[in-house]
Amino acid sequence: MARQQGWLALILALAIAAGALLMSFPLQLGLDLRGGSQLTLQVLPAGAIKKVEKEQLEAVKDVLERRINGLGVAESTLQTVGDDQLVLQLPGEQDPSRAAKVLGTTALLEFRAQRAGTEREMQGLLRLKRQAEAVLNQRRARVTASVQGQPEPPKASFAAEDLAKALSGLGISVPEGATETEQLELLLDAVNSKVVALYEPAQLTGRDLTGAGRQQQQTGSGWDVTLSFNREGGEKFAALTQGIAGTERLLGIVLDGRSISEASVGPQFKAAGITGGAASITGNFTPDEARDLEVQLRGGSLPLPVKVVEQRSIGATLGAENVRTSLVAALSGLALVAVFMVVVYRLPGIVAVLALSLYALFNLALYALIPVTLTLPGIAGFILSVGMAVDANVLIFERVKEELREGNTLIRSIDTGFSLAFSSIIDGHVTGLISCAALFALGTGLVKGFAVTLAIGLLLSLFTALTCSRTLLRLLMSYPALRRSTYFLPAAQLPSSTAP
Amino acid sequence: MTATPELQTASAPSMPEPRFRISRYRRLAWIGSGLACLLSLIGLGLSWLNPQIHSPLKPGLDFTGGTQIQIERQCPIGSCSPIAGPDVQRRLAALALPEDGGDAAPNISSAAVQVLDQGQSMVLRLPALRPAQATAVIQDLNEAFGPLNQSGTAVDTIGPTLGAQLLQGSVISLVVSFAAIAAYITFRYDRIFALLALVALGHDVLITCGLFAWLGLLQGIEVDSLFAVSLITVAGYSVTDTVVVFDRIREQKTSLAGLPLTEQVDVAVNATLTRSLYTSLTTVLPLLGLIFFGGSSLFWFAIALTTGIVVGSWSSIGVAPTLLPLLARR
Repeated sequence: MARQQGWLALILALAIAAGALLMSFPLQLGLDLRGGSQLTLQVLPAGAIKKVEKEQLEAVKDVLERRINGLGVAESTLQTVGDDQLVLQLPGEQDPSRAAKVLGTTALLEFRAQRAGTEREMQGLLRLKRQAEAVLNQRRARVTASVQGQPEPPKASFAAEDLAKALSGLGISVPEGATETEQLELLLDAVNSKVVALYEPAQLTGRDLTGAGRQQQQTGSGWDVTLSFNREGGEKFAALTQGIAGTERLLGIVLDGRSISEASVGPQFKAAGITGGAASITGNFTPDEARDLEVQLRGGSLPLPVKVVEQRSIGATLGAENVRTSLVAALSGLALVAVFMVVVYRLPGIVAVLALSLYALFNLALYALIPVTLTLPGIAGFILSVGMAVDANVLIFERVKEELREGNTLIRSIDTGFSLAFSSIIDGHVTGLISCAALFALGTGLVKGFAVTLAIGLLLSLFTALTCSRTLLRLLMSYPALRRSTYFLPAAQLPSSTAP
Repeated sequence: MTATPELQTASAPSMPEPRFRISRYRRLAWIGSGLACLLSLIGLGLSWLNPQIHSPLKPGLDFTGGTQIQIERQCPIGSCSPIAGPDVQRRLAALALPEDGGDAAPNISSAAVQVLDQGQSMVLRLPALRPAQATAVIQDLNEAFGPLNQSGTAVDTIGPTLGAQLLQGSVISLVVSFAAIAAYITFRYDRIFALLALVALGHDVLITCGLFAWLGLLQGIEVDSLFAVSLITVAGYSVTDTVVVFDRIREQKTSLAGLPLTEQVDVAVNATLTRSLYTSLTTVLPLLGLIFFGGSSLFWFAIALTTGIVVGSWSSIGVAPTLLPLLARR
């Protein structure tokens, strides 16, 4: 009896603790329940690296974390998954395309001097580049103007035969039916890669950067990105600019293999080069582009390229709808089970419903404590585990009924029922847990959510079915008024003489 | 306190006459199960031969890779004319997607469009898009069919390589979990019981798959990673169910030693029948909540689980125990 009271005290204490826990730690809802975006990034091996190692994954994560912080999305999280993946969660963010762009580029910044003797070739390429850019920029301005209802600026164009000649001169085959804009973009890409080929190898990279900023241009509407170097970088930059000062050779700023800016260095820097450890990239950026580039440069370049392999975005309304429907589903499921148990098992049925309520309470408290982020499949796992938790009670109570039918006393039947059902309950739970382990190893977030809640549920139901149900039932049996076999079984099924 | 002497003698041979003798219906049970398995195999085979599916089950977005976009319009009921699928397709075919990361933009003119809610919302199935491209599609649709309810939009993209990984992962975890369950059962019971538990497991998983093969053929229902999850769960549950009966047979081995095995099985099945039915029922009841109120995301998941559990309950009563006397004779 004393031992039983000990159990009862323990259960009560746990229930109070669980309640308090739920009050102070709210449940964490997954993105499918609160709205937001999730991106899975795959780190790709490149160059000499054939397989992504743990350290490289961590290095990539560090860089990406700095970039995300630069973007200023609240509560974003970045986690490594498996050997070569990262998962970024952006709660409340419905359009992750900007984040994907900022994260997805390597941002390898290089400062390279033009090779000697390539001046004429460079001039030709840059002329093409300026021309194509001018047409594209104007076209964009026309689209913006027409959207905003302003008068359209005059239409600039690249004479069709000039464009065709330029394209074939660069050895580009134009796909069938490409629009002029597409052809111009093709041309720009080709020119930019040709330009990069005219530079010497990089003498200075983004590694020597200490900071990056942005400022609006004095003249014109574009933005510049400003850079500051550490001492070593400053010296390299001075040496680099000194080497080409006063010549026709240009200084190229190359980002991820694309030439983004070509600058000439005036003869006044012939003596010492550009000193002071600062420079700016005049790339005619839009405010957003300048900010993104700044964020990327600040975070440093990615040691390995990454690719977005999975995107899941869900609006807040849909998330709220999911919460509502799954709550209704869970509550209606629980109610159905409760009605069934009370109708079929009478008094022990009520005990089972009580134990089940405790089970639900403990489950939620554990979710808050661990913490488990609740997702839609996670809720399904919880709902399914409710069914399995009741199973244990069914196994026990059926056994108790059998013992009663054979004419055993009530208390004895209850004890035998619990101990005989134990073996089947253990088998069921172990096979269930094996399934969960396999599911957890499967790895994706959705499946893991289900496996975690189902496993927690299975472990807990061992406790609630074997301990809570038993203690509660014994407690009730200490009241003589409740100690009647007909509270367990219809009288017709009892042997003619019943236990007290 | 105790039963009367008459009653004692009446129930003394510890075997009461079973009210329900499964051995009488075993031929019927075998035929039923055999037919269901055959139908499932035919479904899987037809699905494999179907040029549009070309695999035993119709793989969903998770496994094939691709992008699914769900949008919802924001207009008072009746004030917008319903969206027509072909209009959406024409609009998409004309859209030039931004190129991203040096890869050419995929061709989206063959998008599958599903219009819902009397033309007020739709679900698009496209080749895998980059986030910027998905945003471009939504913006374009917003111009054409908007205004859209921004917080009612959902985008799911699975890259093709990730899809292959997910498929591989699902198959591996299915195999591993079946093997682990088999190992545990062999450890706990003797080899014939384990074999039969596995036969029942195969039976349940086959029929669940067969149902979805037919659903894929007739209704276009696809299987996703949640389907793999439901199969693994069904496998665990099926074994549990079968084991309850076998546990009883083992328990009464000494008390019923004089009876033929068929009789022993009848007694065990009879004794555990209500339990088997009730445990299945108590698991199916919460799932019914999911089916009727759980929304579309978990609907087919709940259907797969319910099917597996109902079939599992059947096989633990009608298939595994009735096969025991046949195997044990040898």
